[in-house]
Amino acid sequence: MAAEFPLVLVILGLCLGPLLLLALVGTLWSFAYPFVFLWGMFTSGGKLDNMIEETNIRERSTRESLGKDPLTTIDGGFRSEISEAGLVYASGVFGPSHWHLLIARFNNLFGGSVTIFQKVISAGRAEVMQRLRENAKADGWDEVINVRIDTADMTPQGMPGGVKGVEVFAYGTGIRYS
Amino acid sequence: MEQVVNGVLVVNTETIPGKMITETLGVVSGSTVRAKHLGKDIFAGLKNIVGGELSQYTELLQESRQEAVGRMVADAMSLGATAVVNVRFATSAITAGAAELFAYGTAVKYE
Repeated sequence: MAAEFPLVLVILGLCLGPLLLLALVGTLWSFAYPFVFLWGMFTSGGKLDNMIEETNIRERSTRESLGKDPLTTIDGGFRSEISEAGLVYASGVFGPSHWHLLIARFNNLFGGSVTIFQKVISAGRAEVMQRLRENAKADGWDEVINVRIDTADMTPQGMPGGVKGVEVFAYGTGIRYS
Repeated sequence: MEQVVNGVLVVNTETIPGKMITETLGVVSGSTVRAKHLGKDIFAGLKNIVGGELSQYTELLQESRQEAVGRMVADAMSLGATAVVNVRFATSAITAGAAELFAYGTAVKYE
């Protein structure tokens, strides 16, 4: 009998242990979340502005070094002096902070433009286009033609608690003059 | 990021700039569904509270896209193509942390 009692405890522990651990983590998280949320509230706006500013600086330096924007959306079929061509692409996943989501919810209530989402997505798009310019430069392309920009929602359907994000993907054909 | 994948030229224009297309061989495609492990999903979830770029998912999609392009090129090679033109991409999120990447184009022979 003395040996059986610990065995029962061990089995009970194995069954309930993970559940208890999960409950503990959940409880701790529910206490920690408001602080993380507040931290996000104070930092996310500045972070977004910094990102926009940093992208602008990089974009300006690329434009200055090349003398023009290397990206065009036209198909370069009219050109004849091209020696090489190939695919070039860049991507990034960007998400609004939970504070931004809250603002957007209020915006939705009154209607009109949801400027905060527009800001997040256009910042992401500018960043990805700058990455495309940098990738093209790194691969040695003189220009990128037929540039397309795709935006895909990374938030899965039917999962309101999931990660909210937008994937921006830019691709084009790099060309080199002969 | 290479312009030539396994000897097959890949472009997203209708023609290959500076080359002549001699024969079309049909549509080729490649797709992949990939996911990150739970740790990275949790980390991305935490990062989402503060906002900004979710670099875990950027990385995930970059890897998946390379794989999808690789499979499309393998498909083109099996048809004996020397290039894939007019390449298009499609992305869809299936569940949290898993994404389907699809790349398709027209396999051609060029001179």
